[in-house]
Amino acid sequence: MMRLGRNGPIVLLTGLILLVAVAMPALSGTSLEVSRYLANAIGQLAAFAVLAISLDLIWGYLGILSLGHGLFFAIGGYVFAMYLLKHSFVVTGTVPDFLQFMGWKDFPFYWAGFDFFPYAFTVAVLVTLLVSGIFGYVSFRSRVGGVYFAIITQALVYVAMLLMFRNDTGFGGNNGMTGFSVLFGWQMGTSGMITALAAGSLAVLALVLMLCRWLVGSRFGALMLATRDDEIRLQTLGYETLRLKLIVWCLSAVIAMVAGMLYVPQVGIINPRVLSPELSLEIAVWVAIGGRGHLVGAVIGALLVNAVKFWLSSAAPDIWPFILSGLIVLVVLVFPNGLMDLAKFRLTRPMGPKRMAEEIGEARP
Amino acid sequence: MVKFTRRSFLQAGGVAAAGLASPLAMPAYLRSAQAQSGPVKLGCLFSSSGTMANLEGRLNYVVKMAADEINAKGGVNGRTIDVLVSDPASDWPLYAQSAKQMLQQEKVSALFGCWTSVSRKTVLPVVEQENGLLYYPLHFEGDENSKNVVYVNSPPASSVLPAVDYLMGEEGVSAKRFFMLGSDYVWPRTINKQLKGYFKSKGIPETAWKEEYVPFGFSNFQTLVNQIRAFADQGGGQPVVILTVVGNSIPDFMREFANQGILATDIPVLGLDMVEADLEGLDTAKLVGHLNCWAYLQNAKGPANEAFLKNWAGYVKAKNVPFSGTVSIDPMVSAYDSVHLWAMAAAKAGSFDVPEVSKAFAGLTFDCPSGYKISMTGENNYVARGVFIGSVNDKQGFDILWQSKDTPKPVPFSPYG
Amino acid sequence: MKLARLTAAAGLLAVLLFAPGLRADTLDRAGLVQELCGDAGAMGRAGTALVATAASGSAEDRAFAAPLARAVIDRKLGCDDAGAVLDEGGLDAITRMPRAAAGTPRSPLLSLKNRPVFELADAAFALRGAPAVAQRAAALKTLERRPAQIPEGLLDTAAAAESDAGLKEQIDTLAQTAALNASDPAARIRAIGRVAENPSRRALTRIAALESDPAYAANPEFRAAVDAATARIERGIALGDTLATLYNGLSFASILFMAAIGLAIIFGLMGVINLAQGELIMIGAYVTWLVQQGLRVAAPALLDWYLVLAIPVAFLATAAIGIALEALLLRHLYKRPLMSLLATWAVSLFLVNIVRVVFGTQNMQFETPFYVSGGVPVIGDFIFTWNRMFAIAFAIVTLALTWGVVRKTPLGLNIRAVTQNRDMAACIGIPTRRIDMMAFGFGSGLAGLAGLALSPIYSVNPQMGQNFIIDSFMVVVLGGVGTIAGTVLAALGIGQINVLIEPLWGAVAAKVIVLLMIIAFLQWRPEGLFAVKGRRK
Repeated sequence: MMRLGRNGPIVLLTGLILLVAVAMPALSGTSLEVSRYLANAIGQLAAFAVLAISLDLIWGYLGILSLGHGLFFAIGGYVFAMYLLKHSFVVTGTVPDFLQFMGWKDFPFYWAGFDFFPYAFTVAVLVTLLVSGIFGYVSFRSRVGGVYFAIITQALVYVAMLLMFRNDTGFGGNNGMTGFSVLFGWQMGTSGMITALAAGSLAVLALVLMLCRWLVGSRFGALMLATRDDEIRLQTLGYETLRLKLIVWCLSAVIAMVAGMLYVPQVGIINPRVLSPELSLEIAVWVAIGGRGHLVGAVIGALLVNAVKFWLSSAAPDIWPFILSGLIVLVVLVFPNGLMDLAKFRLTRPMGPKRMAEEIGEARP
Repeated sequence: MVKFTRRSFLQAGGVAAAGLASPLAMPAYLRSAQAQSGPVKLGCLFSSSGTMANLEGRLNYVVKMAADEINAKGGVNGRTIDVLVSDPASDWPLYAQSAKQMLQQEKVSALFGCWTSVSRKTVLPVVEQENGLLYYPLHFEGDENSKNVVYVNSPPASSVLPAVDYLMGEEGVSAKRFFMLGSDYVWPRTINKQLKGYFKSKGIPETAWKEEYVPFGFSNFQTLVNQIRAFADQGGGQPVVILTVVGNSIPDFMREFANQGILATDIPVLGLDMVEADLEGLDTAKLVGHLNCWAYLQNAKGPANEAFLKNWAGYVKAKNVPFSGTVSIDPMVSAYDSVHLWAMAAAKAGSFDVPEVSKAFAGLTFDCPSGYKISMTGENNYVARGVFIGSVNDKQGFDILWQSKDTPKPVPFSPYG
Repeated sequence: MKLARLTAAAGLLAVLLFAPGLRADTLDRAGLVQELCGDAGAMGRAGTALVATAASGSAEDRAFAAPLARAVIDRKLGCDDAGAVLDEGGLDAITRMPRAAAGTPRSPLLSLKNRPVFELADAAFALRGAPAVAQRAAALKTLERRPAQIPEGLLDTAAAAESDAGLKEQIDTLAQTAALNASDPAARIRAIGRVAENPSRRALTRIAALESDPAYAANPEFRAAVDAATARIERGIALGDTLATLYNGLSFASILFMAAIGLAIIFGLMGVINLAQGELIMIGAYVTWLVQQGLRVAAPALLDWYLVLAIPVAFLATAAIGIALEALLLRHLYKRPLMSLLATWAVSLFLVNIVRVVFGTQNMQFETPFYVSGGVPVIGDFIFTWNRMFAIAFAIVTLALTWGVVRKTPLGLNIRAVTQNRDMAACIGIPTRRIDMMAFGFGSGLAGLAGLALSPIYSVNPQMGQNFIIDSFMVVVLGGVGTIAGTVLAALGIGQINVLIEPLWGAVAAKVIVLLMIIAFLQWRPEGLFAVKGRRK
């Protein structure tokens, strides 16, 4: 009974996600067809939800706040964009803009092979692991944590943004990359493609959700919570926390990278703006609003904030920042566990160990 | 350990479902029902927040003003115009998002938008996919000709090159050396690439120019102005600065330039993106003589401009617009022209369908506030405009130093790239 | 022999060039006015005629022509169907009799090429005819900018007529400098020495050009003078460049320091990351603007001093916002630093947008008082710009103030105590909550002062604060939390390194390299340059 109660919400959410993923293609052609705009929006929201899960994994369950997750998101996005451009170039002969205005005759050498997706995917994973591994290892070893880790990751993503703004890096500079026309040999932008991408993103979301649920429910997950709540005690007990933190950190980075891969074909552009410190901060805001330390919360937070943002940025552009800032203050002051507190209100007792209700993973280093 | 009941989940899930479904789907459903009658919709893609807000924000109001003018005369094809405004917040992917929303959900007949080339490039795939129509009111780097975009302002071959020619000529300053300083993105890079090609074609040696780029929003120009002085003092002929930085970098650069005691008579600056609004916070007494070049300047002569300025001042006052009623810049006029050009094409076509409207472009003419009769041909989606070279005066404005005799034929693809 | 021929040719050329000037007693007044109203070429000829008149025209002609040069520069000349009028007073440009303009007068605009000619003429007229010494001195400054264009004879006549001894000497000096291409070799050598006295790249270019002069090969004395001058100028330039780099670094450091010092106090004391600090800087600048607008209405005589008068207002206003922020929001979040980070981000979002709604997005318009405009050339190409100096001086004052408060006041003592050990401080009766509030107010007030000091340098708009946040955090963390000395040192280091790298690889690369260096350094020494003694937080 207990186990079902624990897994209930996540199973239901996953079921719902899969249902939508199946329903969208199934309904196409009928009178209930989901419009292309809505399908595309759902797909983007799914990508954001995956991103939120990745941050929740280390912030909510390990107590490490990264304000630089946009970096890994961008790695996935850029690599996928490179694949798309190279692939489009091979199939249709479209020469990317940035080659033209930089006056280059050919792709830079490091673009070789990117028209082959498995290779591109491997590169993305390796680069993500390399960046997150080195940075994580050095940081965790010298016990950089808490707000220091947050600011340093923010500076890191900012540095990456400045670098990518440069046109001579060969990644499109400030313009970024756009003009994708073919994906896996199919024409992009058609209704079918949009629906397929959205359904695929939802499926990946469901998969990531289940994977993370399994992880945090395992013995390993218990160690994560223990590290979050009292790392020193755990070390005294003989556990090696450095490796644990590093593994989760790298895993989280890879998930963020996958989110980036889902995002790019649906939005049709990648540029250094995804590396802006504001975006990385916003990820933390989604998670905080949804509820840290709850995978369901992270997903709902990302969906809710972004859906409202999509809607308001055309319906009432002026009030969106006020609503967002008000929402954050409200969450921070009144609902420390985000929307999960709302659910808790009339229902059962707070969840988890006592410390979790207080504050998650914010013991000062 | 998370303890959840079925009900708590349903609540949370309900919130999510509401978030997903209602804001997105409902308005669309309701709106698409009325799309066939009622007012025809136009969409604006100009940011009212973020770094571009000060410049782009005012264009929203100009589009509305132009639509009001047309509505006052009975609208187009018997329908009035309704202008929808979004806020892409100077965030490039959001431009694409807003464009999608406007085209797919709101079914707008035409879009008016974008300032930076980045934002245009972002929106471009969307309008092409949806077969929409985007009116782009800025001068830009050229080398693009989409059937779904109307390039209302001039490509470099018909705006920048005449200005540089003027500087190099006897009547100008016989410029021999060029310091090209730009923000690091496509527009400055392409302009400078074309200029270098142009210089080469004129037999100017490579040692006579220098290129520098700064990031967006850069403001600490101390070292760069030092470099410009060093470049100028090397001798070898009259130096000029060709400035393609954008946004707030422009006033910050000009301030530092004047503070280091450099006058326009020593090293003139040709600010390709410099408009009256950039001088708003500056003491221009020390900047007198620096140049810009556009297809419209506020001091343009003629009744069309007088009427435009009067309308704008009145509109600002009546609608409590948060921008100056006494400042009028080229992109405002271009946005104004855009709405009228669209309305004329739609009326000529007798339809709001993009293919029909596009077919009606050939032969359109409009009395632009600049005093020129601007026109379109069927060859491409460019608009033939006049060229002005302005000279900064001590009243934070530009005097007209030179203007073209007529409207040169726009050349979309530069021969010097 | 060759030299003599060349000199003769040059003399002949000069006669031909200034031929209209030599016939100055027959200055064609109507023709001049007509040319002033003509196209750019005609205006250029008119300008040359004006310069010649200023140098060698009769007193009457100069009195006639001087107002014309000024009027064209000020766009006060109105060309109409019947010639032209001088706008002020409605005088006819030729006869100087009062008359109204015929039709709509058109005021000719100087092209870039003609402008320096007219400015030269105007200055030449002023040097010979202006009543006040200050006006003549200003005219001399204008002439100094273009020594090569000064007509021969002008300075000698002006010096002879000059009554002020000091100014007379300055004119003589300039005359000697201007004689670089004169016919007398002794005068040329003297001129070379004079030019070398003010070393700059421009001077170097002028002297270097002499190496291809026939005299360089023929006259060993001339050659020695040129070589000595070149060496001297090169030394001057090197010194000037070094000073300029130091000055640029110092000015950037002062900006970083001011943006960071408020943060350093807040972060050191409470461990709170205040992401709204940049917005407090922005509000400080807006308050300065409001003070300026207030003075414009209430006391226009004091308008020039608004930057000084705004100091207490900017400090108190932002301090009040800081205190309110602390009391309403951050007070509840001390045990949750990561949440306070999000909360302050929300505040910054709110502040940016509220300012945007209230004031609009345009750049605010600031008066530029004399003490923050322009600059003084020091040596080589080093120019001492006053607005940067203002920022540097302001940073030093801020440093002194902060140091004084933290070291010499009871509040400072308490702040230090709480920073070192909050629990112990509470145990011995220090009201830590109140200290937090005061310190937060103080730190916010310092941000407001930073906004004030930055307003003459940067554009003031709702976005301006966002440029500072990452840089200033890096300064604080690098310096070591809670030490003023660390913040100063970190700001100086970052500023200087940035300025050193910038000319080599550009502004972006400089920023990237510096940030990467800081990140690497922090991985190695997370506590920064200076660690506070006491409990590690």
